[in-house]
Amino acid sequence: MHEIAINNVSYAYGSHEVLRDVTFTAEAGEFICLLGPSGCGKSTLLRLLAGLDLPTSGGITLDSTPITGPGLDRGVVFQDYSLFPWMTTGQNIVLALEQAFPGKKKSEYREIAQGYLEMVGLGSAVDKLPGQLSGGMRQRVAIARAFSINAPVLLMDEPFGALDAITRARLQDLLLTLWQQNAGERKTVFFVTHDVEEAILLASRVVVLGLNPGAIRGVFTVELPRPRVRQELYLKEPFLVLRDRLVTLLHENILSELEAGETVASVGEGI
Amino acid sequence: MKNYLLNLQTLLFVTLLAALLWPSAGGTPRYLLVLVIIVELTALLRSRLAQSAATRQGARDVASIVFLVLLFWQLATARFGLLDKMLFPNPESVLRMFVTELPDMLKGLINSLILLASGFSLALGTALPLGLLVGWRSRLFHAVNPFTKVMGPIPPIVYIPYAIALLPSFRSASIFIIFIGAFWPIFINTVNGVFDIPKGLLDSARVLNLKERTLLWRVILPGAMPSICTGSTLGLLFSFVLLAAAELIGANSGIGWYVKNFADFADYQRVIVGIIFIGIVVTTLTWGTERVEKRLLRWRN
Repeated sequence: MHEIAINNVSYAYGSHEVLRDVTFTAEAGEFICLLGPSGCGKSTLLRLLAGLDLPTSGGITLDSTPITGPGLDRGVVFQDYSLFPWMTTGQNIVLALEQAFPGKKKSEYREIAQGYLEMVGLGSAVDKLPGQLSGGMRQRVAIARAFSINAPVLLMDEPFGALDAITRARLQDLLLTLWQQNAGERKTVFFVTHDVEEAILLASRVVVLGLNPGAIRGVFTVELPRPRVRQELYLKEPFLVLRDRLVTLLHENILSELEAGETVASVGEGI
Repeated sequence: MKNYLLNLQTLLFVTLLAALLWPSAGGTPRYLLVLVIIVELTALLRSRLAQSAATRQGARDVASIVFLVLLFWQLATARFGLLDKMLFPNPESVLRMFVTELPDMLKGLINSLILLASGFSLALGTALPLGLLVGWRSRLFHAVNPFTKVMGPIPPIVYIPYAIALLPSFRSASIFIIFIGAFWPIFINTVNGVFDIPKGLLDSARVLNLKERTLLWRVILPGAMPSICTGSTLGLLFSFVLLAAAELIGANSGIGWYVKNFADFADYQRVIVGIIFIGIVVTTLTWGTERVEKRLLRWRN
């Protein structure tokens, strides 16, 4: 059981209200996508889940234990800066392993790290520095590290947002494969994105957040069978219907904000 | 080949050779001749090994400037005697003197380097950990920052009288002055380096639940390293400048003392020799620090 319950969570940054009264429960093994326009507080919500910030009011529990700070029961992947640039990919993963499973021998850590790098197809990059890798490779290493600590929960903040379309598609497939691999012990995933198709492809449920203040506008169950194959998916009726509904919902929200005279893109993304 | 013969560097080289080999009263300046040929060969080697056209041209231009200076110096002193003989000895005699004085200067250099190394390593050993701590703990930073602002820019030479009065020996006073000179640039740059670590990296460290010791050692220190290197290089140069000042206090050897001592006796030949020697030492030091820096910051490119 790795159930995550978000109860009446609000978060304000100074006088700016970022999230208002968010309540949502993710069941164990669910893949939740947080979808919304820039500035809707989806990244903030992820930071609260990670324990990097604490809610102004309300609370979040993981298996009924309140989250009061960061912990190794949650693996986190950011859009960038996940890896320490002065450590090789191997050292980056070993550092995480040393925290999660203390007391092993150096060679053991190295072996495990090597294994996780092979899992994401980067077995030969164990001695490479992050600066020597492409953006897509770096994110693969970050995913490998998040999986290596064997946390039941995986939190991802627009991990593929800065990648080109082809790399992005490859990494989406890789992530789904890894997530589905051990069916009994699936991780509970929270995945932040502003890409509607990405959300439908990945999620069991899509949570749409709106602007000003960030609040849940709707929760949609994605009834598409897995494994999902991109090419077939895009032609299927349920996919098209859901995409249409999500796009409409996002646009309504953005348009009403524009009419209210607000600049959509500049409000508080990332705080 | 045509390109080689018709450039400025070769032209100057030939002119200079002609000027040196032209029969004159003092005979052929052999030391100078050797130096000129070494410069020419170095330039040829460097331009041969150069990766780009710009660095190739650079190697040649540097040689041209050296030749121009030597040509002017030789003509203005040995050939036509335009400059004051005592203040501006001719290049051949300076080179000769350099070779004979080298053993003495190296002995002095060892004393200087011991002072420099003591003061600098003392500064590095204190400023680095303090800087990391002050940069990391915001309460400490707010408490200390005003004092840093006031004391950082005070030129360390003003402490010399106190250092002499309070400390037991010339050595300790000199080391103290060098220490002060290196301390502030290293400290201030270390603190700034901690501030400049991207927030995202600190978040990554936090989600890994690193213990504070691991965090300081494996994340904060390497993250601040680019700035620490800048500060240390600055600190080392300041130390070197202050070394010369410190040797005025009461040293009886050392490279700063050497120049000062012979200036007092109006022995300008040895003064120029000393200045050239200091130039060589500083260049070597800078080259060394650049190598260390490149190694420490390998991950940046």
